[in-house]
Amino acid sequence: MTILLPLLLLFAAISGTAVVLVRDPNRQVFAIAANGLVLTILFDALQAPDVALSELAVGTAAVPLLFLVALMAVRANASGEEP
Amino acid sequence: MSVLPYAVAAWLFGVGLYGIATSRNFIHLVGCLGVCQSATYVLLLGLGYRWGSIAPIFYDHPPGTPAVDPVMQALVLTDIVVGATLTALLLVLTVQAHKRGGSLDPEKLRPMRAGRKSGRSQDTSRGDEAARGAR
Repeated sequence: MTILLPLLLLFAAISGTAVVLVRDPNRQVFAIAANGLVLTILFDALQAPDVALSELAVGTAAVPLLFLVALMAVRANASGEEP
Repeated sequence: MSVLPYAVAAWLFGVGLYGIATSRNFIHLVGCLGVCQSATYVLLLGLGYRWGSIAPIFYDHPPGTPAVDPVMQALVLTDIVVGATLTALLLVLTVQAHKRGGSLDPEKLRPMRAGRKSGRSQDTSRGDEAARGAR
């Protein structure tokens, strides 16, 4: 049990670094969702179940969907500009 | 162990700042800002954590059982909601900047002027068409 918390903190640091280092926004969406999932498990291990629930809804589902909508709007705008 | 949450928070904040400073895409930049915000979550929850204590829910525990700090958890909850709102707002601004300037690269942003010297002239015609279509 005492090893779980440092391990999850290190996972959070690694997945946050992955979000920054993935430069393509289409792939960064997946890194953001994975980061939200790791943070959810970390918050649950830190005895904060309500924060974990809200991070699961916001960080794993809502924010990546917002990124997908933004990417779709940018792509539609760029393809409508070509002709 | 007691230093590790602060070290992780500092690392996340620094790595997010590095991503913001070196980003060449506004959408990637908003994702890096989310990493900076997650540093604040880790910092606040690490501040309020106590070893060997329960979650602050006393339904099946007697009152007085050692629990982690619920004030920090309320702050983190507020922080998450504000962060999602900020992400949505910045993504909308990104889409508008792409519509106006035609690029997502921060280096290619040009200042907005009253005349149509910067930006594209076809943007106005397309905007007029959209306005006419709405009418």
